[in-house]
Amino acid sequence: MSSSVTPAPLQPVTIAFDVMGSDLGPEEIIRGVAQLTLDTPHINALLVGDGAVIDAALADIRHNAERVSVQHAPEVVTMDEKPAAALDAKPNASVAVAARLVAEGEAEALVSAGNTGACVLSCARYFKLLPGVKRAALATVYPTQAVRGLKGDPFSLILDVGATVDASADDLVAFAVMGSAYARIISKNPAPSVALLSNGTEAQKGPPRVVEAHAKLQQLAGIKFVGNVEGVDIPKGTADVVVCDGFVGNVCLKMLEGVHDTVIELASYAYKEKLLWRAGLAMLSSGFERIKQVTDWEQYGGAPVLGFDRMFIKAHGRSRARAIGNAGKVAAKAVSHQLAAEIQKALPK
Amino acid sequence: MSAADEKIIRRIYRWDLDKTYLQTEFDSLSDLVRTAFQKAHQKKAVPGAAALIRELKADGDARLCIVSGSPTQMRTVLAEKLKLDGVAFDELVLKDNVRNLLRGRFKALRGQVGYKLPTLLNSRLTAPQDAQEVLFGDDAEADAFVYSLFADMVARRVDEPVVHQVLKAAEVYPDDIDRVMAVWSKIPAADPVRRIFINLDRLTPPAYFQRYGPRVVPIFNYFQAALVLLADGYLKPHQVLHVAVEMVQTAGYNLLTLSNSFQDLMRRGFPLGQVIQSLTEVAQGPGALLNSVRPVPDIIAAFTKRISALGTPPVPPPARDVDYLSLLDDARPRTHKKRR
Repeated sequence: MSSSVTPAPLQPVTIAFDVMGSDLGPEEIIRGVAQLTLDTPHINALLVGDGAVIDAALADIRHNAERVSVQHAPEVVTMDEKPAAALDAKPNASVAVAARLVAEGEAEALVSAGNTGACVLSCARYFKLLPGVKRAALATVYPTQAVRGLKGDPFSLILDVGATVDASADDLVAFAVMGSAYARIISKNPAPSVALLSNGTEAQKGPPRVVEAHAKLQQLAGIKFVGNVEGVDIPKGTADVVVCDGFVGNVCLKMLEGVHDTVIELASYAYKEKLLWRAGLAMLSSGFERIKQVTDWEQYGGAPVLGFDRMFIKAHGRSRARAIGNAGKVAAKAVSHQLAAEIQKALPK
Repeated sequence: MSAADEKIIRRIYRWDLDKTYLQTEFDSLSDLVRTAFQKAHQKKAVPGAAALIRELKADGDARLCIVSGSPTQMRTVLAEKLKLDGVAFDELVLKDNVRNLLRGRFKALRGQVGYKLPTLLNSRLTAPQDAQEVLFGDDAEADAFVYSLFADMVARRVDEPVVHQVLKAAEVYPDDIDRVMAVWSKIPAADPVRRIFINLDRLTPPAYFQRYGPRVVPIFNYFQAALVLLADGYLKPHQVLHVAVEMVQTAGYNLLTLSNSFQDLMRRGFPLGQVIQSLTEVAQGPGALLNSVRPVPDIIAAFTKRISALGTPPVPPPARDVDYLSLLDDARPRTHKKRR
């Protein structure tokens, strides 16, 4: 594995977008893709969803039609459906059709803001796991105190946050390798620090699979393993990549989101409660705005599912156009820099 | 050549130059200066434009009339550029802005309607009455408006008071309005304009032009224009392939961008299903012109895949009358203070 990432020339990349199933409707996804075709001459978009809806929306939006193609898919998996049952009942659901087209080589990566379970399951049905990877991982970014990489990136990467509930030691090692490669390429962080999430920093802390993974990662060349971190280290940004199984990761993520929501609610309560508090918050507003800019998750566009031979970015269900465009850019960057090959090179032989 | 040998002019193709035929930048003062001092070989044609014109004129029964807002001082360099591209024109009308300046007609410097409309009408006055017309403009200024108004004036689909109102709103000087009306009255009524292609230089959303009816076809590139003209019977399949090959060889177009362009037209309701069949036959024929792009089976597969990817084909847009009074905004210069 090389220690630094050489910028690859911008080769044409086609990204498939599942247009249906997002909370904000297909128009928001199409707006994001339309802007992408104007901003990035090397990215082609394959829009998958209801053809009539896509055509009507595209006609009203500034876009470059030379870089857009449409695949009609008559069915949709909605957010509240059970993934496996929905995909079985709807073989022509947009997410399934999009994943199939990516697997067939019509596009090189997939972006969806739809039902997460259905997205991951579609990938599992149509994509192949990389040799040496037994289970895929869903990764997400979290804003931290520390910054990292050539771009001063405030986000650390946490994986897995839900794809694999019960991961083995080998799975955790593979997640570490995948997260490291992703951070190197997407965050332009030449040597990202990688840690295991546990209930103590000592090597023997945690359940047996975490202890075993710790031992294996210490022996693994090519990644900068810094040992265990605790939950408190996630917002501090002690490590650039935090590795855990999907159960723990999902609980962590939801808790962090809950804390964030609670802080916002408290601030809004304070704003309404006393004039003095309101004045104080107003004085801090420019600082809050700055924090909002720095920690704007939309710049990342979404969460990658790592471990497959094809790239998949799961955008947030409430993603706006900008987030969708950025998800497309991240997917294209991962493809251009051959993320899958980078991961494979770094996996234990 | 004697008059007897001359072919009857059956078709007239009217082209704008800047942003329609030429890739011109004039959004800033420095762009304007650079454009003014460019030599002929430094000017770049929009991909496929030269090939399309050559093919449209190939049968010798067509006239190419160019009307441009470029100043008359650029005639030599523009004529040289067209010659370099192998484009033979029959008319090249440029704007006499020095005269406008000397007469203190500052509104005429920027105005499009007051310049292009009388120029088009004057040209039509001398055109064979049966000649059909296809017009080419862009989305940077008022081409869709001016061309549509010209077409409807010649066809007498628009009333005199409406034209009067439109010209007044477009700040055309009163004596010029009188001249427009006078020329118009001399033109025999006919309905010659078949298509108005608008090159989407600014990537204006295609739906914006629906207000002008299906005669106006916004295009992202000249391959799209060639496909529509093939469906309309103005071009033959091998001529469309010539346009495509020039775009591939000179401007980096590829199978993906061409097949996407094809699908875009179909999604906008152009019934091009039959066109693919005729293109396939020519592509597979002797010489296999397209082999310089990609192996012919790949090309055919890419295009048929784009068709099969669509759901129910959309219905072609219905014909409609143009309500010019509601579109007056389009008649004003882009930088006009009243333009929204």
